[in-house]
Amino acid sequence: MYMLNSNKMFFFFILFFSTLISISSNTWFGCWIGLEINLLSFIPLISNSNNLLASEASLKYFLTQAIASINFLFTILMKMIMMKNFEMNNFILIMMNSSMLMKMGSTPFHFWFPNIIEGLTWFNSLILMTWQKITPMILLSYCFNKNFIIIIIIFNIIIGAIGGLNQTSLRKLMAFSSINNLGWMMSAIMISQTLWIFYFLLYSFMITIMCFLFHILNMYFINQLFINNMNFLIKINLLINFLSLGGLPPFIGFFPKWIIINFLINNKMYLLTLLFMMMSLIMLFYYIRIIYSAFMFNYLKMKWFKIFIKNNFFIIINFFSFISMTGMILSTFFFF
Amino acid sequence: MNDMKYSICFISFIFLFLMSMLNFIFMIYFIMNNMVFFLEWEIISFNSMSIVMAILLDWMSLLFMMFVFLISSVVIYYSKSYMSSELNLMRFIILVLLFVFSMMLLIISPNIISILLGWDGLGLVSYCLVIYYQNLKSYNAGMLTALSNRIGDVLILMVISWMMNYGSWNYIFYLEFMNNDWEMKFVSSMIIMAAMTKSAQIPFSSWLPAAMAAPTPVSALVHSSTLVTAGVYLLIRFNMLLLDTFFFKLLLLLSGLTMFMAGISANYEFDLKKIIALSTLSQLGLMMSILSMGMPDLAFFHLLTHAMFKALLFMCAGVIIHMMNDMQDIRFMGGISLYIPLTTLCMNISNMALCGIPFLAGFYSKDLILEMVSFSSFNLSIFFLFYFSTGLTMFYSFRLVMYLMINDYNLMSVYNLYDEDYIMLKSMFTLLFMSVVSGSFLNWMIFSYPYMIYLPFNMKMMVIYVSLIGGIFGYLISNMNIYSMNKFIMTYNLSNFLGMMWFMPNLSTYGLNYYFLNFSQNLVKNIDLGWSEIYSGFGMMSIMKKYSVYYNIYQMNNFKIYLFSFVVWMMIILFMMLFNI
Repeated sequence: MYMLNSNKMFFFFILFFSTLISISSNTWFGCWIGLEINLLSFIPLISNSNNLLASEASLKYFLTQAIASINFLFTILMKMIMMKNFEMNNFILIMMNSSMLMKMGSTPFHFWFPNIIEGLTWFNSLILMTWQKITPMILLSYCFNKNFIIIIIIFNIIIGAIGGLNQTSLRKLMAFSSINNLGWMMSAIMISQTLWIFYFLLYSFMITIMCFLFHILNMYFINQLFINNMNFLIKINLLINFLSLGGLPPFIGFFPKWIIINFLINNKMYLLTLLFMMMSLIMLFYYIRIIYSAFMFNYLKMKWFKIFIKNNFFIIINFFSFISMTGMILSTFFFF
Repeated sequence: MNDMKYSICFISFIFLFLMSMLNFIFMIYFIMNNMVFFLEWEIISFNSMSIVMAILLDWMSLLFMMFVFLISSVVIYYSKSYMSSELNLMRFIILVLLFVFSMMLLIISPNIISILLGWDGLGLVSYCLVIYYQNLKSYNAGMLTALSNRIGDVLILMVISWMMNYGSWNYIFYLEFMNNDWEMKFVSSMIIMAAMTKSAQIPFSSWLPAAMAAPTPVSALVHSSTLVTAGVYLLIRFNMLLLDTFFFKLLLLLSGLTMFMAGISANYEFDLKKIIALSTLSQLGLMMSILSMGMPDLAFFHLLTHAMFKALLFMCAGVIIHMMNDMQDIRFMGGISLYIPLTTLCMNISNMALCGIPFLAGFYSKDLILEMVSFSSFNLSIFFLFYFSTGLTMFYSFRLVMYLMINDYNLMSVYNLYDEDYIMLKSMFTLLFMSVVSGSFLNWMIFSYPYMIYLPFNMKMMVIYVSLIGGIFGYLISNMNIYSMNKFIMTYNLSNFLGMMWFMPNLSTYGLNYYFLNFSQNLVKNIDLGWSEIYSGFGMMSIMKKYSVYYNIYQMNNFKIYLFSFVVWMMIILFMMLFNI
């Protein structure tokens, strides 16, 4: 398995703790420290001297994240000097939020995100899509400029939806989906942090299943979905998880989106809600396009040997898919 | 399997025949002792409405049921031989039995809901029977039948909803007491229209000739005696409600016109079953019009006798069609009396009964009707319609006889016409016996006192005069040969008009369909597959794809540019901040 390499395990633990440092610190400076350690520990996880694309990805990651951290530090210091740490100016907020956005890979600083994720393995991309978002999101939630964030949300969801239409690489597709979901998460932050935690947990649950499934099937591109000889149950799992990611009821992916729409409407942000819904329709379209090609197309069957996909984690995937399918209904049983 | 499909015919024949005899016995008992049975079962009663399932057994329903069972038993026995080469004979027999069951429900119900059950069942099963042979003509005919009947169903549904005003759906109780209510006016108009659709009166008369695409036993049972008389029976039941209303006078006019039109159109037809269908239509018009004059028992009488000889006529037509290798055009037939005398016997007797030749079945009902018409005070147009149609009846009957029996055989030069199909003959002889005897029998049973009729001599002989003239014309018109045909070019338009039932079928098919279908074709082409695709379906998708491609192009740029853009953004924000503080 991936983690049995002790070096990687070491860096993984440092990554974990860096996030904890960042979110539990008193001062902005402590946040910055956590961010730096995060950056430093993630680079070795990505880089693989055998793979050219991976090492290029690690370099690009380093450059972008470094600039974002520098900017963050500069803004903190600027704020300390100019405003004596007592008040917040809107422009300072914009600068601080921009650096956080760049850390996360949100629009308008998202160009590195699909680029880099192309060079990562599925496990690394899982970390990049889920864990690396925690720190910037929480720092964003400490103080943000509401107008700026709303514009960024709108851009996020549009770019996430439309950018993903023309992709054939599964990793880039997940990256654009991640950008779209960043928009949802930022709107959750605007409302309350508990809501963000809820959305984030469910989102990372779904992404985990997807990345696991793709890792086991060893698939990186869409055409691999219908060339390989998957058995029917794996295809069903794929279907359920993609539909859940797209936010289709009764799967569990619908639940967080529904709650967010509910709270947005409570706070009278109607136009935003409309935009969310329309763009998630487009996202759902291209998920279904993928599933459709996986399900309906005939696959190649070689006559002289059988391609046998052996997976030890099938039971985990099945269990998680079961939660995906019935989670919403089962969760209503827990509150009575 | 072979044995089983024959024995289902036999079993159902025995069963229905025994039911018919049972009804006969009960009917005699009920008439003699003037009894009525009313069995009811209250299903539910809430607020002011009570839903009740009721069965009314009086002499009228028992008599009608006896006739229906008799004819259907004979028809099923007949179809054992007629439909013997049918693969799915079980299906056919079951459909016929379903039909008889629906008719029975209709006859014994004093309750408008169970009338609806029977009525809808009749419409549905007659549709299934009309489309029994699955070709294009049957499909079209079935659609026409089903939709025309459907209008009547809708009207009865509306009657049900209007009758909720009265607390229960047993219309029997509200016929005389409530007939001046405002709601009852709606009920009565809708009932009349529903009966008109079922009995194919003038606005709805296009389905009856078209329904001849059904197998001949079906025509014998359904389209001659039971389905089309359901409308008449409904009006007989509702007669007390409808006397002296405006709608009844309207019905008189329309049914008189139906009688007239059908009689004329039957003279221009060359399809054997269509002639008999139009003859049925003419007799239905007669029944409806005498009903609308306020004489329901005469209408009932004619209904029953007509059922007998019309079913017999259809059966003879079935035998002839079998002989002619399924050819139905009368121009190909001729000289039948020389080859199949027994069938000719049945056909002649039923034709004569239809025309009202004295002392056969039709005479008692038809002659009585015509004398009652002369005796009441109606105007000249009604008088004309009745008597002229009687003459027309003789006209087309005689023409049919000339074409079928007297002229030469026209089909092929090698033929084998045989009469010895004893199954069909036995069925026909049963009906033959009934069509000779039932007229007088019913006359003595139903009318406890004779009608008082006092007419001058010439009016009494008017029936004979018009019949004679009709007969002479029938003889003359069937003597036309090829040399006299060229004069017909001059009357081409008129012949078309009169022979195509005054173009009314076109109104109820093309007139209703054409403009709507045209319009919807335009809509589909221009909007559904046109503009709506650009604005919502395909257009949206192509726009999205285009923008996605633009985005991809925009994204494939140098890494330095991303970083540079970020730095520039920061600079801008920084300067704005500095200048604002």
